[in-house]
Amino acid sequence: MRTIAYYKSKKIAVNAIIHLLLIAVTITCLFPLFWMVSSSLKTQETIFKDMSLIPREFHFENYILAWREGGFGRYFLNSILYTVSVVAGIIIIASLAAYAFSRLRFPGKNFLFFMFMAAMMIPIPGSFVPLYVLLSKLHLRNTALGYILCMVNVGLSTSIFLLKTFFDKLPLELEDAARMDGCSKLGIWWHVALPLAKPVLAVVVVFNALNVWNEYVLALIIFDNKNLMPLQRALMMFRGEFLTDYPLLMAGLTITALPIIIVYLLMQKYIVKGVTSGALFG
Amino acid sequence: MRKFPVFYILFLLIFAGCSGANKGSKPSVTVWHWMTDRDPAFQELAKKYETDTGIKINFELYAPSDAYSQKVRAAAQGQNLPDIYGILGEKRDFSSFVKAGHVLELTPYMEESGAAWKNALFAKALAINEFREGNSYGVKPGIYGVPIDTMTIQMLYNKDLFRQLGLDPDSPPKTFQEFLDIGKKIKQANLQGLVSGWDETWIIDSLASNYAFNIMGEGKVMATIRGEVPYTDPDWIRVLAIFKEMQDSGVLANGLVTMINKTAEQLFANGRAVFAFNGSWCVNVYKGMNPDLNYGAMIPPSAGDKYPMTIWGGAGSSFMVNLRSKNMEEAVKFLRWLTDKDQQVYLAQSTNNLPANKESLSKLSPLLSQFAYVMEHTTHPSAWGISEFPQVIEAIDKGIQSIIIGEKSPEQVAQEVQRMKERESARKR
Repeated sequence: MRTIAYYKSKKIAVNAIIHLLLIAVTITCLFPLFWMVSSSLKTQETIFKDMSLIPREFHFENYILAWREGGFGRYFLNSILYTVSVVAGIIIIASLAAYAFSRLRFPGKNFLFFMFMAAMMIPIPGSFVPLYVLLSKLHLRNTALGYILCMVNVGLSTSIFLLKTFFDKLPLELEDAARMDGCSKLGIWWHVALPLAKPVLAVVVVFNALNVWNEYVLALIIFDNKNLMPLQRALMMFRGEFLTDYPLLMAGLTITALPIIIVYLLMQKYIVKGVTSGALFG
Repeated sequence: MRKFPVFYILFLLIFAGCSGANKGSKPSVTVWHWMTDRDPAFQELAKKYETDTGIKINFELYAPSDAYSQKVRAAAQGQNLPDIYGILGEKRDFSSFVKAGHVLELTPYMEESGAAWKNALFAKALAINEFREGNSYGVKPGIYGVPIDTMTIQMLYNKDLFRQLGLDPDSPPKTFQEFLDIGKKIKQANLQGLVSGWDETWIIDSLASNYAFNIMGEGKVMATIRGEVPYTDPDWIRVLAIFKEMQDSGVLANGLVTMINKTAEQLFANGRAVFAFNGSWCVNVYKGMNPDLNYGAMIPPSAGDKYPMTIWGGAGSSFMVNLRSKNMEEAVKFLRWLTDKDQQVYLAQSTNNLPANKESLSKLSPLLSQFAYVMEHTTHPSAWGISEFPQVIEAIDKGIQSIIIGEKSPEQVAQEVQRMKERESARKR
């Protein structure tokens, strides 16, 4: 009886510690979000004076002001276009390339793969000037296509790595069966490999969507036309050289964060599967 | 199938219409800038200029400033710079743009009509954009930029807290000893003393430089940079000791060495710190954080009798004209107009920045005037013509941080800085 009581109390204690830790992590993750929403409803003065999470007065007009002054409408559409195009481009190219690296035999396969992996090591700011010059020479600077191509290029290496790791683990028998049913190599990729890779694709979609949605510096460098700028440009309107308009910035951040939170929530079950099935292996 | 030709014809008509309208029209001037808080004022001025002259000015904002810098560098490499732009960074960055042929020399324009344009601007602000005879950057002597505003870095004091401490709010401390004595009162009242962004070493560098000029004079500071006077000289040890004395007296706020400027501004704006060390841009910042803040500006209290206190200033924002611009003449004309008295008054009043035009001072708010009227007592490393090794500057700044936290003595820091100076000088040779 004593032993049972001992194990019961030990279990309760362990569970309590685990839950306390999880609660602490949750608070750490959620607090900045709550602070962002709370600050978006305060005034510039009360942000620095009133430290409570629930404002005494709610200034919902900050959202209207932020939307209007930041010019969110156009930038929102631009960001949606860039995110959808880039993610679609990455999914198609990376899955084809990863499948080829995993299943096909061709000369220089390993060399090419390592070249892609090496590209992961180059910090993006280091490639800004070469990219600018290259796009200028191709007459693609200051065009949406030029920006989309650059961002596809930025996301390819990691995505190929993730997908190749997954395809390497797929049983060959599945492909043999498809081949016996008359599937071509492209058919196997489309009908067998891609549907099975849904969890990894979800990870690739979320990672790259986040990357494109939050990207700003490359856009700023290659675009001269402000009508082509992404959503992040609107947020920069509230950040002065010395003075930041925090309520409008926080309202803008809340508006900006919403779509990406929705994408994450929609993909959540696949991401968990992707992680547990080894999509993030390595 | 039938839609395409109709669309095509319409497109051609619109295109032809557009090109017809452009024929004979005046050129437009494009300006790239990074100043988010000044953008609305720039847009207003652009409208006014177009109404007056018919020339369209496109102010294009690219913020934040570090991303803007990258854009300008990339555009310079791709030879895509606009008609007017600003170069951020140190003087050596500016010199590399000049040497690469990206900047028009403005001396002939400045000297026109008895140097009217040049004389209207603060000499200290112009000096930032000037390369003098024998400059160490190898640039042909001349003026290469136009200051559109200026700044000074001073101390601020909270008048209400001064009253609370039993001090006269209209009489800030003038000598270093008076300043230290206030430290004791601050300690007793359990308040915070001087706040500043000393996590960013350039702000410490600024105050250290102020006291170096005050204790040993400009000549000896320059001689030290040239390597003729060692940092172990008693005057330099005295400069470093200033920080120890401030710390010991309690006049410095707790945690100052790791404080970022935003935190310092917040503490001062909320009336939790008696003193602040900040640039003139703070007027706008404090106004945003606490419009009722009752404060004044003062030059850091003097620690020596032989030389005047010299503060950092003059270096505001500047614009350069692209040497490859097709609208070069129009760009120069616009900059001349932008730095005229009326436009400078408008900019100063709408953005709370100090104007570059001397004639605009009379129209400033009393507080901004306190910053502006000390312009003659300013200096800035960009105007010295020679520069100290960045590693030496870092050794001074980090050394001061060590003195404040009681890790090292002023003598130890002086020796370390001198060793760094010798190492860098040997490496250069």
